[in-house]
Amino acid sequence: MATSDETNDRVEQTYRRRARARIQSVGRRLRRAARPGWDRVRFARQDLTAAMPALPRVAYLFIAPFFVLFGLFLAFPVFYTLYLSFFEYQGVGEGSLFWIDLGPLYVEIPQIAQLNFVGLGNYARLLGNDLFWQSMFNTSYILAVQVPLMIGLALALALALNASFMRLKGVFRTAIALPVSANLVAYSTVFLLLFNEQLGFLNYVLSGVGLGPIPWLTSEFWARNTIIAAVTWRWTGYNMIILLAGLQTIPQQLYEAAEIDGANRWEKFRYVTLPQLKPVLLFVVVLSTIGTFKLFAEPYVITGGGPTNATITIVQYIYRQAFVNFNLGYASALTVVFVVVVSIFSIIQIKLGGED
Amino acid sequence: MRDQRRKDAVWRFLTYAFVITMVVVMMVPLYWMLVAATLPQEQFLQFPPRLIPGTAFLDNFAALQERLDFVRTIRNSVFIAVVYTLLSLVLCSMGGFAFAKYEFKYKEPIFYTILATLVLPIQLLVIPLFLLMAQLDWTNTFRAIILPWAANPIGIFLMRQNMKSIPDALLESARMDGATEFQIFYRIALPTMRSSLAALAIILFLFQWDLFLYPLVILESADMYTIPIGLAQLTGFQRIYYDQIMVAATLAIVPMVVLFLVLQKQFVSGILAGSLKE
Repeated sequence: MATSDETNDRVEQTYRRRARARIQSVGRRLRRAARPGWDRVRFARQDLTAAMPALPRVAYLFIAPFFVLFGLFLAFPVFYTLYLSFFEYQGVGEGSLFWIDLGPLYVEIPQIAQLNFVGLGNYARLLGNDLFWQSMFNTSYILAVQVPLMIGLALALALALNASFMRLKGVFRTAIALPVSANLVAYSTVFLLLFNEQLGFLNYVLSGVGLGPIPWLTSEFWARNTIIAAVTWRWTGYNMIILLAGLQTIPQQLYEAAEIDGANRWEKFRYVTLPQLKPVLLFVVVLSTIGTFKLFAEPYVITGGGPTNATITIVQYIYRQAFVNFNLGYASALTVVFVVVVSIFSIIQIKLGGED
Repeated sequence: MRDQRRKDAVWRFLTYAFVITMVVVMMVPLYWMLVAATLPQEQFLQFPPRLIPGTAFLDNFAALQERLDFVRTIRNSVFIAVVYTLLSLVLCSMGGFAFAKYEFKYKEPIFYTILATLVLPIQLLVIPLFLLMAQLDWTNTFRAIILPWAANPIGIFLMRQNMKSIPDALLESARMDGATEFQIFYRIALPTMRSSLAALAIILFLFQWDLFLYPLVILESADMYTIPIGLAQLTGFQRIYYDQIMVAATLAIVPMVVLFLVLQKQFVSGILAGSLKE
């Protein structure tokens, strides 16, 4: 019994101490407010902060840290690339500034270099180069098939997972988005093995339903589609999640109103979902287009650009010119052209998609 | 009425069939990778392929560790990605706040210049960046990997869009109470952006996690390798030990899956917290 009394005492003491502290703090605040100088300080601070937004300096302070890093590590390389594109970069002598050899992967930057001004020579050269046009064609083909396929699948999945009758939404969503967690090089290696003509799992499954082995990696046509399959596999879930988030922002009343008007499933999609989702859809399409334009690691690991350059992408071509052939000036000119093409593409998409 | 109900049932069945098919398609490569990691090399290259997990995972793992300290490689990648993500979140939210809530000279041109760099393929900035890092004597350091893309254009774009949704009245009332501009930013603006920050964290982490060519050029010694470099290194040996690569690939997926599971809910609600509608 004594113990329980002690506990009660302690509890009571604690309460009393807290109450005392609270009274003291309120008293302090009242006394402070009563001090004549206090109001003046507060007004002065209010005046000062009211004047602040008018001073652009605050805004510049907020963007300064971003801008310092941006200027040093992004803007400088961009201008340097532009500058280099008018020169021929010749490695002279034996010494290498940097050198790495990982079997299929080989990178070297020569130490001593001579810059010869060639004007627009690099640009003239790329327009006449077959491999440049080949890589442009490959990238365009992959882009034209992969982006619509992926966005279509992602949209269909998002609509399905947003349906009111769907159970286990969280489980399905996680499972479908999981591929994005796979490491770029890791998943490319997995696809390389899955799509192996003799030993691969995919041809094993196909032979089970009586389809002959498909030369996934050795035929020009199939190799491109293998790359498309790999990229689509990894990024569909990611885009689905963004579109799902977009679907959830559409007000339910719009659907109810459409139902009252007797709209069927397709009409609800066409006249409610699609217009409401347009900004999000545009965001996803533009980012996916830029992402696919920049395709590099997948063809690098899975096909190495082959067979007979059927899957070499622009970025991969530039990489070869820069790090294998040391044509840094030419590679820079290619980069400039590439960036201009992607920018024009994105601007067209935004103009077409964002009319209103 | 009955006809309508039957139609609905068919529709439901088709929807489920589609979703489940896609789940299977997404899971098969991951499952296959997991199985491959547990098989000894001889069984791995068998035809028909084995689909039941073996017991050699630990042996493969030991062999992998002997070749390349892959645990350390994963630790490096996680360290770089975490520091990068935190740094970039600070920079992008501060910048985004300024672009969303202040008026200043050349605001639009500055913003669109930043946004335009989104189209730059990072692989191609590798040459000038490498030359720069060599000048600074920063090669083979983590800061050379972390700093260049901390100023992330997609990050500042998303934070700007989302911070626009913070009501000006809220900020104004804080100003009335005498809060400094910086207090307004981190006491009022940031807490309302929690889910957007989580969404951006996933995007940034993933971006750094995927960097391949740039760290390959910058990081020289094996104890500094990140996961993609470690994996590329494994394929570079004279005989390719795919079983070890699969072990490495399986281990490499873990940190990203954990991050994704933890932040997934916020990702869905946060990425469009503001809206892209303008």
